[in-house]
Amino acid sequence: MEVNGQLALTVLMGIFLIAVAAWLARVEDWRSYTPLAGGGAVGSTEQYVSEEKPSGVIRWLTTVDHKDIGILYGAYGLIAFAVGGLMVVVMRLELADPASTLISNTFYNSLLTSHGITMLFLFGTPIIAAFSNYFIPLLIGADDMAFPRINAIAFWLLPPAALLIWAGFFPIPDVIPAQTAWTMYTPLSAGAGSGNQMNAGVDLMLLGLHLSGVSATMGAINFIATIFTERNEKVTWANLDIFSWTILTQSGLILFAFPLLGSAILMLLLDRNFGTMFFAVDGGAILWQHLFWFFGHPEVYILVLPPMGIVSLVLPRFAGRRLFGFKFVVYSTLAIGVLSFGVWAHHMFATGIDPRLRASFMAVSLAIAIPSAVKTFNWITTMWNGKIRLTTPMLFCIGFVSNFIIGGVTGVFLASIPVDLVLHDTYYVVGHFHYIVMGAIAFAGFAGIYYWFPLYTGRMYQVTLGKWHFWLSMVGTNLTFFVMVLLGYGGMPRRYATYLPQFATLHQIATVGALILLAGQIIFVWNFVQSWLEGPKVEDGDPWDLADDDLLTSEWHWFDRKLQTAVADGGEEEAELATDGGERIDDSQSSSDVSSDGGEPVDETDVASDE
Amino acid sequence: MASKTFDKETILDLTVNMVPLVIILFFVVGFAVFNPFGVDTLTSGLQFSIMVAAFVLLAALTYLSGKAIAGSEKTDVVYPPGQATVPGVKPLHEEHAEAEAELDESGDGDAVEAAEGTA
Ligand code: HEM
Ligand SMILES: [Cu+2]
Repeated sequence: MEVNGQLALTVLMGIFLIAVAAWLARVEDWRSYTPLAGGGAVGSTEQYVSEEKPSGVIRWLTTVDHKDIGILYGAYGLIAFAVGGLMVVVMRLELADPASTLISNTFYNSLLTSHGITMLFLFGTPIIAAFSNYFIPLLIGADDMAFPRINAIAFWLLPPAALLIWAGFFPIPDVIPAQTAWTMYTPLSAGAGSGNQMNAGVDLMLLGLHLSGVSATMGAINFIATIFTERNEKVTWANLDIFSWTILTQSGLILFAFPLLGSAILMLLLDRNFGTMFFAVDGGAILWQHLFWFFGHPEVYILVLPPMGIVSLVLPRFAGRRLFGFKFVVYSTLAIGVLSFGVWAHHMFATGIDPRLRASFMAVSLAIAIPSAVKTFNWITTMWNGKIRLTTPMLFCIGFVSNFIIGGVTGVFLASIPVDLVLHDTYYVVGHFHYIVMGAIAFAGFAGIYYWFPLYTGRMYQVTLGKWHFWLSMVGTNLTFFVMVLLGYGGMPRRYATYLPQFATLHQIATVGALILLAGQIIFVWNFVQSWLEGPKVEDGDPWDLADDDLLTSEWHWFDRKLQTAVADGGEEEAELATDGGERIDDSQSSSDVSSDGGEPVDETDVASDE
Repeated sequence: MASKTFDKETILDLTVNMVPLVIILFFVVGFAVFNPFGVDTLTSGLQFSIMVAAFVLLAALTYLSGKAIAGSEKTDVVYPPGQATVPGVKPLHEEHAEAEAELDESGDGDAVEAAEGTA
């Protein structure tokens, strides 16, 4: 009996193992003749994949390769961008008319809260991590990140974080979404008042936020260690690329800012669930604001510095020359990093804090505008008289600069106390920061996505669709958010689901702008997915012809080596195929046209007037 | 040593961070001389320590990074940023003269056009 039982178990286990092996073999086979979308990313490293990595889903679940993790972060970030974007589309539709028609006020508040948190923590930080994971090791000549496994853990904390943050929207009995806004001000977020903020949905959201903070901190430690210790010996502080500089600074900011958010969140959770009184006692509400904004302001620079790095890297490649005043950009990046910790109370000018304190925060806030302006001048000067090529990534870079100017200038006005007291908590503030988070940060993300598209997919995107995406985004952004600036001047308060009829026209224009943005992003998704699957294969390791201007950076050199070691496989035929789904036949007529987006220099005069 | 590291060029690069430092200093002096809200030990202390802390930290980081960058400029070959590991890329000082000549050549036509466009 005993023996038989054991035997049966052994046989069962054997069958199970054989089944697993067979399944793996099948997946392997299947992959070798149809590279899957994700796998296609490293399509030409396939030999390498089958040597060291399992295939199919298992590979993505177990990978510690910085490039794979970069792709995972990117996919995660884009999904979150879609979720957050659709949330705000619903809000904008509600705001098309002054009354509460489409959704309830409480649901509006829920969407508002989730939109902010999703965009900042689940899209912004991860999409930056996508670029930094993929490209920092390539740019600095490292084999991988310093701690590849920590890198993987940091990513895998994010999906549960998203589930927790969105938990309130799932059909779970008795759990409703948080309605605290992304700033989670107490006493509302501590559960006080007649609202329903004592609900577990808020607790789950706080836990999710905490998890995303842990993830960001782990990533930051990893990047600091990598950039300090893993550089190729030829890569010194004097020739470290600008994107690595911004990631290094960003990681420093994360290291000091996120643990503080974590602590504040824990205190809030204790207040909510264990009867502590951190934020309930006298001064508790202002304590929360201090803690939150000591994190919150650095957070906005955590989000904007790496995009600035991407633009500083990409923009000169299409201006045919090196970044003007490279070291100015490096030092001003570091300056922003330091100063961003000395400005937090400019978010609290209207709270009635001591006027002397307020004044000093105004001083530092005005000082921090200088390094930002310096960068802007450097970008413009780089383009000035340059050999501009208006490719899609370049268009997004120029859009970035243009939007950043408006976002930055509106910010400087807010930094002035008397102006802020008028405009605080109006749509002006919403306009200000959306010019930066959408107009600049997301634009730089798109610039990076298009610029490196040939590198991580091995294929080329559809040029015309890229341009449509840009122009719809540019027009949509400026329509939506400039109108918000005007609404703010008119005194329209932010965070309301309803409004006075006098604001209707401007709100409707903003809604139209948001729909234009939506149309642009749908084109982007189509272009991205379709080109990744079927776009013409890139055969040139330097699709943007950077070497012509001596501007070829390390990651493209890596790509070139990868292409050369890959087995040649009927690339021409692929290019033919792509025209079926592609927009313009002539795009893929010849292999050099594959990179036609980088091809022709465009009249500089156009660009100069763009600015 | 320090004076060797911080040559004229480096100092020039660092001016970019002098500007915010001067702005902060301006306000420190300004609030010290003219303080409409009066003086109170705690809040005035905080007021100045925020600005002074920002000033000191920025000065320190600027100094340290300037030292690291200028230092490795002295000791190592300097390639164009991000291009060090690309074969065939010349170090900056070698190609300097060459690049300048090239720029003059290719920049001419464009420069005229652009000047016309923006004038
Ligand atoms: C040029 C430097 C900048 C200055 C001087 C500045 C100034 C300000 C000020 C004073 C406020 C508070 C307005 C109020 O609530 O009354 C504010 C809000 C905000 N800024 Fe900026 N800003 C700058 C750059 C940025 C950047 C680069 C970002 C984003 C990456 C950003 C994102 C935000 C956000 C998200 C808020 C709103 C926070 C909230 O209340 O929900 N700002 N800014
Ligand atoms: Cu701020």
